[in-house]
Amino acid sequence: MKRWLSIALVIAGLASAEAKVSPGDLAKLPPAAAQPVDFIRDIQPILEKKCLQCHGRGHDKGGFRLDDRALLLGESDSGKAVLSGKSRDSYLIHLVAGLEPDSVMPKKGGKLSSEQVGLLRAWIDQGASWPKGISFAKQPPRNLHPTEVVLPKAKAGENPIDVLLKPYFKANKVQPGGAVDDRVFARRAHLDLVGLLPEPAELETFLNDRSRDKREKLIRNLLGDDQRYAEHWLTFWNDLLRNDYRGTGYIDGGRKQITQWLFSSLKTNKSYDKFVAELVHPKPETEGFAKGIVWRGVVNASQLPPIQAAQNISQVFMGVNLKCASCHDSFIDDWKLSDAYSLAGVYSDGPLELVECDKPLGKKVKVSFIYPELGALNTSTNKAERTARLAEVMTSRENGRLSRTIVNRLWQRFFGHGLVANVDDMEQAAWHPELLNWLAEDFVAHGYDLRHTMARILSSRAYQSEAALEGAAPEKTYVFRGPSVRRLSAEQFVDAVSQLTGLWRDKPVNDFKFTTNQLAQLKDRTRSALVPADPLMVALDRPNREQVVTVRQSTPTTLQALELTNGGTLNDTLKRGAAKLASSGDTRTLVQQTYVKAFSRKPGWTERRTASQLVGDGKPTPAGTEDFLWTIVMQPEFQLIY
Amino acid sequence: MKPILSRRDFLKTASAATLATLTTGAPRALFANDELEKIKSTADTVIVLWMAGGMASTETFDPKRYTPYEKGLDPNRVLSTFPSIDTKVDHIKFSEGLEKTAAVMDRGTLIRTYTAADLGFILHSRHQFNWHTGYTPPQNVHCPHLGAFIAKTLGPLNPAVPAFINIGQRFDLGESEELKSFTTAGFLGSEYGPFNIPYPDQAAEAVRPPAGMTPGRFEDRNKFYKKLLSASPVGKHGSDYQKESLLRSMDNAHRLLSSPAAKAFDLALEPLENIRKYAPGYEPGQRFNASLDRMGAQYEAQSVGRFGLGCLLARRLCEVGARYIEVTTEYIPFLNWDTHENGHSRLVSMKKMIDSPIAQLVRDLEERGLLNRTLIIVASEFSRDMMTEGKPSKPIKDQVEVPKTIEDPKFYGMHRHFTDAGSVLLFGGGVKKGHMHGLTADERPCKTIKDPVNITDLHATLYRTLGIPANLSYEIEKRPFYVTNDGKGKAVMDVLG
Repeated sequence: MKRWLSIALVIAGLASAEAKVSPGDLAKLPPAAAQPVDFIRDIQPILEKKCLQCHGRGHDKGGFRLDDRALLLGESDSGKAVLSGKSRDSYLIHLVAGLEPDSVMPKKGGKLSSEQVGLLRAWIDQGASWPKGISFAKQPPRNLHPTEVVLPKAKAGENPIDVLLKPYFKANKVQPGGAVDDRVFARRAHLDLVGLLPEPAELETFLNDRSRDKREKLIRNLLGDDQRYAEHWLTFWNDLLRNDYRGTGYIDGGRKQITQWLFSSLKTNKSYDKFVAELVHPKPETEGFAKGIVWRGVVNASQLPPIQAAQNISQVFMGVNLKCASCHDSFIDDWKLSDAYSLAGVYSDGPLELVECDKPLGKKVKVSFIYPELGALNTSTNKAERTARLAEVMTSRENGRLSRTIVNRLWQRFFGHGLVANVDDMEQAAWHPELLNWLAEDFVAHGYDLRHTMARILSSRAYQSEAALEGAAPEKTYVFRGPSVRRLSAEQFVDAVSQLTGLWRDKPVNDFKFTTNQLAQLKDRTRSALVPADPLMVALDRPNREQVVTVRQSTPTTLQALELTNGGTLNDTLKRGAAKLASSGDTRTLVQQTYVKAFSRKPGWTERRTASQLVGDGKPTPAGTEDFLWTIVMQPEFQLIY
Repeated sequence: MKPILSRRDFLKTASAATLATLTTGAPRALFANDELEKIKSTADTVIVLWMAGGMASTETFDPKRYTPYEKGLDPNRVLSTFPSIDTKVDHIKFSEGLEKTAAVMDRGTLIRTYTAADLGFILHSRHQFNWHTGYTPPQNVHCPHLGAFIAKTLGPLNPAVPAFINIGQRFDLGESEELKSFTTAGFLGSEYGPFNIPYPDQAAEAVRPPAGMTPGRFEDRNKFYKKLLSASPVGKHGSDYQKESLLRSMDNAHRLLSSPAAKAFDLALEPLENIRKYAPGYEPGQRFNASLDRMGAQYEAQSVGRFGLGCLLARRLCEVGARYIEVTTEYIPFLNWDTHENGHSRLVSMKKMIDSPIAQLVRDLEERGLLNRTLIIVASEFSRDMMTEGKPSKPIKDQVEVPKTIEDPKFYGMHRHFTDAGSVLLFGGGVKKGHMHGLTADERPCKTIKDPVNITDLHATLYRTLGIPANLSYEIEKRPFYVTNDGKGKAVMDVLG
């Protein structure tokens, strides 16, 4: 900013705007557009795209801001930029038309087309009208402070989520779908909480349970299954925290795992505030997260470890994207280079000099949090003291963003859409702010207990209602109608295949440092999340965890289908599994059990007949069984969560 | 539409498509960019022949004064360990051992001044990342490979052939995590990712029914899949986006596997005499023994075949309409072009590995009338030198010990990583014929002295032949990500016809 400001001052000092431009130059101005100009249709898009990055939302390069009409027409460092009714004499027009080769606007990004200049001219000539209510000023942060929600009156025992959704449905004229049956619910709940299909025996017990609170009971039981819960949620957190067993950086010791700590934190259901504090104020077993990934050689300033820490902490825990601002003041939001460096300073071993687009600026900034209103940081020279204070501020009661960000991520997992659509941009409004606020407050009130919030959501009628089928052409504005149809993750798919075939991975990677006892239990029962990615998992979008991944892709692709159709990993598993299954029973039982395992339901008459033909009449053949298993795992009913 | 109050509120009114994009982070092309140049393409297909591990230009396409081996040699005197040979173009000389490629030099352009990025202490895979993406790792979004950018922008040339085919690299050897890091579509999404074929002689297996399954059984399996699908209750109740895309992807895969184009993957269908032209000593059906692969010299002798077969496969795929193909000599730390010792003798075999296949690929494509619209690029992450590590202006920490005098042939060769001037060979696809671009010094350091070409501009040149502007961008996390670094690539017009 300083650089441009000084240029602007020089220009202003040398001569007034009008004196700089010759009449000959003025003749070169593109003509004003002939038609009446509409601010919202014609002008706002130009301002949004070309001007506001430097002259709006808290930015005032050259002392010029166009937050509103008054500022647009007011004094800047170079005098008045816009003279209403006189576009020919307006300095802004001279600059965007390129009449001053040394300071063509915009400085960054593409220049304006003649048509765009013509529109701006016509707008100024027509009096620079500016509709009421539009402001490009910096907005106060959203979703930051804790907000208590008073629940409307409700029937006893009604889930507050449903209570809050009732007026929403009414206002949006949504007729929510009916409740799903026990089988669908069981499949959903198992996949969502422990990442597995319900085993036939588990399903049977649940279906036979006649108690009224059987669904709550199932949710409690699944959440209480520490081992399977941890094995499932490990994937979510590995993606979020960039933790992996193999990957770039390890080759020269430029990366460190947090596997052991993470797994045990999940297993013991560590409270989320403590979980975050241990990552932000690291101890040896958690320092891998804040240390980041260091490649050999020279690394761009915006990717130095302290900056990585600032980016990742902001994104993962606060739903703030500081990536742009790690290199320069962001063009797409309000974050500034100094914001990223102020936070990075917490993790830097020495004073951190600001570097803009790889050019050192020769200045340093004081350590501070991205939302200073949440509390001052410690500026001590002792790094541990600084990280300790950061952890304190981030997990303080005042930080309502920490809780909102994580409950929104959970909602997104369970419903396919976040309450705030972009789970990494918590500055956006939720489609139901009270619901977001209530979930966050309820989460905090229950000791930052993730499993508590999961249970809250899963026991809601909203979660237990029929999937909202979405067409290929999505609606203009997202309206919540129920859970979206979701796709099994790579790990869920691979584990589900293991459930059908009985073939699991031999053993987890050593990095878990399991005891001999634990290893004995996992022998030949190891789930996919506990081993490095194989070609099948990679094809199904298990990410390489070099960047934080908060939402995986969910659209199936041809390359994936190819891997599923003729890839070695899957076909080998199916072949070996089929050989075992075929030798251990009759066709009827095999077909029946496979259907129950795969779909949590029995086969219909046509299905039973078709499948039996394939498997082998009476006695299963290995090849027939293998092909049958394949036709089952390729079904949308298998690969999708309805 | 009601007034938009602030950028943050924009999301409220944005279409659900946009919302879906933001939620999933899926990229969108920024077609609104008003400064995109309309470029008439001169190529439909790109074939990158990748000299993995750092190919010494003074031993290949930019020979300097030859100093034969003798005991007690001062390494400072050695610029090239081979004599020069003539090429079809008077003013262009190659290093001995590249006679066949020399004979087709009149079909292409040689860039001698590829100037690699300054990335500090050398890690091959990091420079390879830079070459293949145009960006320097690490990046805070997952960078797409060049082939993925092309696949995303242009799509497949023939819908039955994957748009991005990557031949010859295995991913279970040294630095493989680093290789995986850029051999990917990154944020563009796996649809545009590489179709990896580590062993060209086994390529047919990648597009065939699973091993041990007859075509008849494969078709049956598919029929049963469809029958059970229509019998399933999910098959009956309404359509939803997830299900539709899943079924479409399965159909696409099935079509690809049963398409006539799939035959292009099968080298067994190629007449024996053609195979011989690409791979001296190779017998069809021969398999490589993985346990021997790690044994250096033996492996190298065998891999003469693997690169050649890769080039032959590239030709076959080109004939049925491939979009982007890469064939690598394969990166294995300290093997192939990665010569930390025995540089001279190792280069004898490396040149043997590449010479016939490159020349044959050029000739075959020309004969089939495909060279006009196919751009072949022979390139490496950087060059090598006996003395200089990095650039003369930016020396970096040496990785290879060079003795004061050479008393053992193992020290005779280019063993340090030289980033100031490397060779890039281009054929077809609209590049000039019999042309040379750039000048390097005749004495050490043999640096670039005229017309340097960096990766950004090399990519811009390549994209230009395909009609893709260098400032085309895709949106990720609301910001533009350009096909060349920051959209700043300038095509090297001097090499374009």
